[in-house]
Amino acid sequence: MSHGAGFVPRRFVLGEFADSDAMLSATKQMRLKGHKKLDTHSPYPVHGIEEALGLGRAKIPTIVLCGAILGACLAYSMIYFMNVVDFPINVANRPPHSPPANIPITFELAVLMGGGSAFFGLMALMRLPEPYHPVFEAESFRRASIDTFFVSVEVPSDQNPDTVAADLLGFGSVEVQVIEESER
Amino acid sequence: MASTSTAPIESPTGDPLEPRPLIEGAQTDLSLNQSLLNHVWMGAGKGWWMLFGLALAGLGLLGIGITVTLAKGVGMWGNNIPVGWAYGIINFVWWIGIGHAGTLISAILLLLQQKWRTSINRFAEAMTLFAVMCALLFPLIHTGRPWFAAYWLLPYPSVQGIWPQFKSPLVWDVFAVSTYFTISLLFWFLGLVPDLASLRDSSKSPTKRVIYGLFALGWRGSGRHWAEYRWAYLLLAGLSTPLVLSVHTIVSFDFAVSVLPGWHTTIFPPYFVAGAVFSGFAMVVTWMVPARQFLGLKHVVTMKHLENMNKVILATGMMVAYGYVMEHFIAWYSGNEYEFSVFFRVRQRGPLAPVYWLMVFCNVIVPQIFWFKKARTSLFIMWVAALLVNVGMWCERFVIIVTSLHRDFLPSKWELYTPTWVDWSIYLGTIGLFSTLFLLFLKFVPAVAVTEVKELRHELAHAHGAGHGEAHG
Repeated sequence: MSHGAGFVPRRFVLGEFADSDAMLSATKQMRLKGHKKLDTHSPYPVHGIEEALGLGRAKIPTIVLCGAILGACLAYSMIYFMNVVDFPINVANRPPHSPPANIPITFELAVLMGGGSAFFGLMALMRLPEPYHPVFEAESFRRASIDTFFVSVEVPSDQNPDTVAADLLGFGSVEVQVIEESER
Repeated sequence: MASTSTAPIESPTGDPLEPRPLIEGAQTDLSLNQSLLNHVWMGAGKGWWMLFGLALAGLGLLGIGITVTLAKGVGMWGNNIPVGWAYGIINFVWWIGIGHAGTLISAILLLLQQKWRTSINRFAEAMTLFAVMCALLFPLIHTGRPWFAAYWLLPYPSVQGIWPQFKSPLVWDVFAVSTYFTISLLFWFLGLVPDLASLRDSSKSPTKRVIYGLFALGWRGSGRHWAEYRWAYLLLAGLSTPLVLSVHTIVSFDFAVSVLPGWHTTIFPPYFVAGAVFSGFAMVVTWMVPARQFLGLKHVVTMKHLENMNKVILATGMMVAYGYVMEHFIAWYSGNEYEFSVFFRVRQRGPLAPVYWLMVFCNVIVPQIFWFKKARTSLFIMWVAALLVNVGMWCERFVIIVTSLHRDFLPSKWELYTPTWVDWSIYLGTIGLFSTLFLLFLKFVPAVAVTEVKELRHELAHAHGAGHGEAHG
């Protein structure tokens, strides 16, 4: 592997676990031991992962709420502007501003922008799409989406990956490997 | 529990009232992965190609119908005054309704923590998407010049300075249906991402690995991702639930807001939503009965799933029947002779009465067989009943739209409606389009949400191991 100038490959230690409970307890202990940049990889969401990783409250609900409110405001003000301010049409002397008639579209746009912000907000938070990630270097990682549980730790450049690997093994990992980002 | 009671029935769900398992046999994550993705990896069989050929023929019919409509104009359709609305809107409402089961299964049953939804939600959501696509075709081509449709429907600043009339339910429809399609697509794709990652990781050929890898967006099952993902999924479900109710409500406003006898009815919104769910579940059963057989999904789409769907068909069928009864009651009770005439003379004894009685037979009488467990668990009976419900719900839209219009206030304007061959080929053509898309879906995408079934297996195993307390972890 030839490294270009300035390219510092990220290093990861990847520990494999037999089941989700072993993965959870190892994650917790690794975090208490002071390891930063911990992550888990599982084929399906595992209950208790937030506590094990020490994550705070999820950010998505706030994003969705803001998106939905924005959508509702946008829709109502759009209708108001178009049918009341810019081009009022008098049909049988009905009021140009008729709130009940504005509700359906206001609701629909709130849902549209709320849902859109759920999806795109999630993608932004997860930083996906990201086709390459160093963990994919490990051949056994192909089973992370099938039936195997992993804990990954990004090792800072001044730290020896072997000590991290030893910790993971100590906390019940079946197999540990050190992987290095490849330059593209 | 009282000591006199009999011993509880052992069941994987831990629920003595539900002895039928949701996942049959001893399964592991690996075995589920293999069995549920198998239909994607195995080559297309003879049966698939035969059905696909048939579907493509239908698609060809659609092409012909649309070409004729665009080349010669909408006069090729059977619509004429007084029946100015016919196949276009009948089929639009029929398809939208079919789509509703998908959202109901994926969103509402998720919020209600109905675990049986897990094996069928992907399938039903795909159905939603394709049904809405078919539905959207009709308002587009009925304009005759669909390339201008965006100018007429969407609010955009033009030199004419004209905006859409936001007091019109037809404009609400544009927003409702396009929102519905977008949100359903995002919800479906979000649920699909982890499964696409499993496809990527279990694929044997490098090309497939790259293609599925592109769609999987680099998903790596990260715990940090799952933490946000679960929220996003739940919130999309929460948003879809009122959305699905609003869509058919707004579709029903197209009729209910007008002052035509037979349309001007306050019961329309709930009755349309119930009818939509009714026809949608019937469509899911119609496709699921053969699909689970041919795709090898019998261990995850068990008789319990089918039976539950039949129960939903029975329940929503009863709601639809109640809607019919109330419509007729109010028509009599209102004392309005025009309304009375539409419901009791024109529909029941007019020239189109056979369609009305077929509707009553298919939608009110046929679902009643699902009171019997034997019918609920017989593949043949449920398949035939579901087909009849599909027919019945199409007849319902025909009855509502055509019979209300073809007897105008002035008897001199009475005119019988007959669809032309172009009407028929576009309608049958959308069935071809739907089948084409659905067969492609069954070939290239896991028909069952593998990730969610694995999660369910994990939950069930935990619940079973820890006793009855931990069913909802």
